[in-house]
Amino acid sequence: MGISRRTLMKNAAALGAFAGAGFPQIWIKNADLARAEGGEIKVGVLFSLTGTTAIIEESLNKATILAIEEINAAGGIKGSKIVPIVEDPASDPATFSEKARKLVVGDKCVSVFGSYTSASRKAVLPVFERQNNLYWYPTLYEGRECSKNVIYTGAVPNQQQDEFVPWLINKFGKKFYLIGSNYIYPKEENNYCKKLLQKYGGEVVAEEYVPLGHSEFSSVINKIRSTQPNVIFSTVVGDSVVALHRQYRAAGLDPEKMPMASLTTSENEVAAMGGEAAAGHFTSAPYFQVHKSPENEKFVAAYRKRWGDDKVTHFVSEACYFQTFLFKQAVEKLAASDITPPNIRDAVKGQEIIAPQGRVRIEPDNLHTWLWPKIAQAKSDGQFQILVEAKEWLKPLPYAAYPGQVCTEKGLVEKS
Amino acid sequence: MTAAGKLLQAAVSYGDWRVDQFIEQIITGLSIGSILLLVAMGLSIIYGSMGIINLAHGEFVMLGAYTAWLLQSHFGLGLLASLVPIFVVVAAVGWIIERYVLSLLNNRPLDTILATWGVGIMLQQSVRLMVGSELRYVQMPPSLSDSTEVLGLSVSSYRVFLFFVAIALFAVTWLLMNRTTVGMKLRAIMQDRSVAASFGINAKRVYALTFAYGAGLAGLAGALVSPLKSVSPDMGTGYVVDAFMVVVLGGVQSLAGTVASAFFLGELSGAIAFLQNDTVAKAIVLLAIVVLIRFRPEGLFTTRVRA
Amino acid sequence: MPSKTSAPTGLPQLGAQIAPLLLVCALVFALPMILNNDFLLNKIARYLVLGILTVSLALSWGFGGILNLGQAMSFGIGSYAMAMALKLKTIPVHTGSGGLPDFMVWNNVTQLPWFWVPFKSLSFALAAGVLVPALVATALGWFIFRSRVTGVYVSIITLATMVVLNLVIIDQQSYTGGFNGITDLAQLEIFGIAFDAYGRATYYLVAGCVMLSLLVAFAFTHTKAGLVVQAIRDHESRVRYFGYDVAAYQIFVFALSAAIAGLAGMLYTIVMEFASPTFLGVQISLSVVVWCAVGGRQSLVGAFLGAVLVAGMQGALSESAAFLETWTLVMGALFVLVVLFLPKGLAGLAHGVWRSIAERRPAVREVTGSVGQTREGSA
Repeated sequence: MGISRRTLMKNAAALGAFAGAGFPQIWIKNADLARAEGGEIKVGVLFSLTGTTAIIEESLNKATILAIEEINAAGGIKGSKIVPIVEDPASDPATFSEKARKLVVGDKCVSVFGSYTSASRKAVLPVFERQNNLYWYPTLYEGRECSKNVIYTGAVPNQQQDEFVPWLINKFGKKFYLIGSNYIYPKEENNYCKKLLQKYGGEVVAEEYVPLGHSEFSSVINKIRSTQPNVIFSTVVGDSVVALHRQYRAAGLDPEKMPMASLTTSENEVAAMGGEAAAGHFTSAPYFQVHKSPENEKFVAAYRKRWGDDKVTHFVSEACYFQTFLFKQAVEKLAASDITPPNIRDAVKGQEIIAPQGRVRIEPDNLHTWLWPKIAQAKSDGQFQILVEAKEWLKPLPYAAYPGQVCTEKGLVEKS
Repeated sequence: MTAAGKLLQAAVSYGDWRVDQFIEQIITGLSIGSILLLVAMGLSIIYGSMGIINLAHGEFVMLGAYTAWLLQSHFGLGLLASLVPIFVVVAAVGWIIERYVLSLLNNRPLDTILATWGVGIMLQQSVRLMVGSELRYVQMPPSLSDSTEVLGLSVSSYRVFLFFVAIALFAVTWLLMNRTTVGMKLRAIMQDRSVAASFGINAKRVYALTFAYGAGLAGLAGALVSPLKSVSPDMGTGYVVDAFMVVVLGGVQSLAGTVASAFFLGELSGAIAFLQNDTVAKAIVLLAIVVLIRFRPEGLFTTRVRA
Repeated sequence: MPSKTSAPTGLPQLGAQIAPLLLVCALVFALPMILNNDFLLNKIARYLVLGILTVSLALSWGFGGILNLGQAMSFGIGSYAMAMALKLKTIPVHTGSGGLPDFMVWNNVTQLPWFWVPFKSLSFALAAGVLVPALVATALGWFIFRSRVTGVYVSIITLATMVVLNLVIIDQQSYTGGFNGITDLAQLEIFGIAFDAYGRATYYLVAGCVMLSLLVAFAFTHTKAGLVVQAIRDHESRVRYFGYDVAAYQIFVFALSAAIAGLAGMLYTIVMEFASPTFLGVQISLSVVVWCAVGGRQSLVGAFLGAVLVAGMQGALSESAAFLETWTLVMGALFVLVVLFLPKGLAGLAHGVWRSIAERRPAVREVTGSVGQTREGSA
């Protein structure tokens, strides 16, 4: 195949132009801007827009932007506008780290909202701890972290399971089949679950882990059939949730006798699996889209108006939403020249806000959030029905499964 | 003794083994195998006949699934009715890619890996930009949503359906390859392209058709599999690796080999997953393939050793 | 033969070939004086490390003809070796007795596993980061090349092996940190110098390793063994007929490439401050192949610059508001174009341009010559 020199030069020029066009951007963005200067408060928004976890992180990005837009429309924070700097870490922990550095060191943001997976949070943690910046992490996770540079607004195991597990034992029976994706979050949750089962007289008939993204569950379903548990305690994530539910239904199993009880199945997954496959199974979370409260109705309406009528809100996007408002509340307490991450952290301790799920509070000891756990059952119309609501908000105990350790304001303390 | 036989022995020594479970395992394996076959068949044709390593194969699967979703959500078309349009759409995409990208890479087999990978990224991202990253739902045909009795066991009707579809598609493909003029032309080109050209066979056209056919098959696979799983822009990446393993194991240029290895791998991974867990199953299957390629690179089922 | 078979016929030729290499090294070292911005240096350091990784693949692929789709395996092993050593140097309050890493304590591991113990010594870790990948590559190479497996099958085997190791690491989270990887590391300290990820010391360390790996690779391609390896790439059976033990040479270049990749891995852990199973992933492995292809797989400098350029461009594009949503699409399109029209990569382009300028002859024949020769030697 012959190529004329002209074509070649043209292509080379195009490539060169692209390469050249890319670089100036770095220079402009890194001009030395001080923090919160000139009526601008810079925050980073670090959720994947491409790659595998974009499935859910896209909605987290949207919820955060919605909150920022609402705050700015209402006049910003004492007159200063929040300027979101959005980066796409592409579902890769190393890119998360790179973008986090850029946001913290390069752009000098006063806070960054980000991460869904624990792997990405752990990858960016050194950046925030080393640079003494503040990371707002909205996702339910396995606990066992006590960083003073992270505000955790997602649920930890004790908040998700303390009411859920005994309720399940009561309603359905003692035999639990534990199935999760193969990484730390499901393993920790199962760890905690086993402790609760021991306490309440439950029994583990099997504990199994499938690779992330796995979607072939026939063997698992065969095993379920042969062990006949009362409850299938599921901590698979992402599209594994959808596959598991659909194949459960296709296999003809009955959710009234052997329901799946999940910590991760949200409105997102329910929309993708279809009402038929979702109906009858249970989820425990602090928030569901159907929750009745004026704040939630406003939130859902605003979200749909901004992003589309077919969109759903779920317990992680709700956390993104309210954490941005908590940020605003904390910054309001500071003088304009004092807006630095450590000050924001100190200001947010003990702050409360009426979130769509109810009133929430940042616990000063461990920087986690007091939440209102709920138990809901999915319906065939694709939404949940809330069956049990906590009467009181639950204190977050990230080290609940490890009685020898407790997270305090000074850091992690070993109790003898 | 075959691997399946050894596994059976181990399983029996576990004690507490019932015939029911055994049959259940066989059926599970057949189901996994039929899905593997659906996905791998297109790849087998493309690689076997053209030597093209199509890393965008997973994206063709994904396109088929998204087309099913689109037809369902915007036109209310059920899955079974959409199958023909899906085949046509994805085949068309395949044809375009072959014509404008791959035909320029005639004698650079390893560069086709790179080019198809780039194309795959573009397809994936285009879908993401046009439709969004969320998981999408394709409804299972209501007529197949229940379970049927097979050998005394309750099995999902849809899985049974998939099994027969996979076999049917294999039969159709085999007939096309071996009993039609186009198939004969393709086989001629596979043997020796220049000699075939001297007989007046337009290799370019045949290649384009073949690639389109393989892509169309992949699209069908994606659509057929989606009611059991979900639809997302990156759903295809997992399938490429699995599909390749099937093709390599079965022997390049052997369609029957692909069928046999698909079911073999299906049984193997199903059995190991049942005895251990899915992570171990995946690792063991991969290792087994590595060992197998080393000792028999022509695959399990090729009778002639091709250089 | 279109390949840049480096025949050391006389000093001027050698000089001409080593000049770009030395130029690049000089530029890398001089950069901190031009760019007085530690953040940018840290960012560039990351790209430089990826450049070293790509050079290692160029050695194996461009010069040896072995397309290692699992190059990231050596990279990952090196990065984990460094991470393990640095982890054992941390003293967090929640480490159990015997200096156990935190994730092990949480997984109720009571004793440091045997394969962690030697990493208490930093020198062992430094050696292991380079030697273990080389040993693994030797074993794998022996497995592959002794049975004369060629072409695609080599790539498949390397890919499959890497995926298996990836699965194992993720599965055995009590011993490896699983999906989160090994995080929360101490800073590397050698001879009293602390290598802070954001500091100049780290940048110069990376720069030094860039020079080292480029020179080592360059030197190898100019030894007799290096020439034999290139001959094997071009026509394996012919070399065999000459009586050479083809497999031994292939294994050697395979292992050398792995050693350099391991070095890159160790540097990556220092720069990123963590090690993750994604470092052994399909994504990064394929990315390295892409960078190598774009830069020119048969040119060490080309491969290096290809990585730095493409990774840098990826970073820049994804951070620009205009391309926030579409940068992946743009990268994919660019890549397809490069593969189609620049099979020798940017290095081939540069080479063609240089030749046409230097020799002042119409470059048409030269350029079409190197682009059109697709029959041999480009697999």
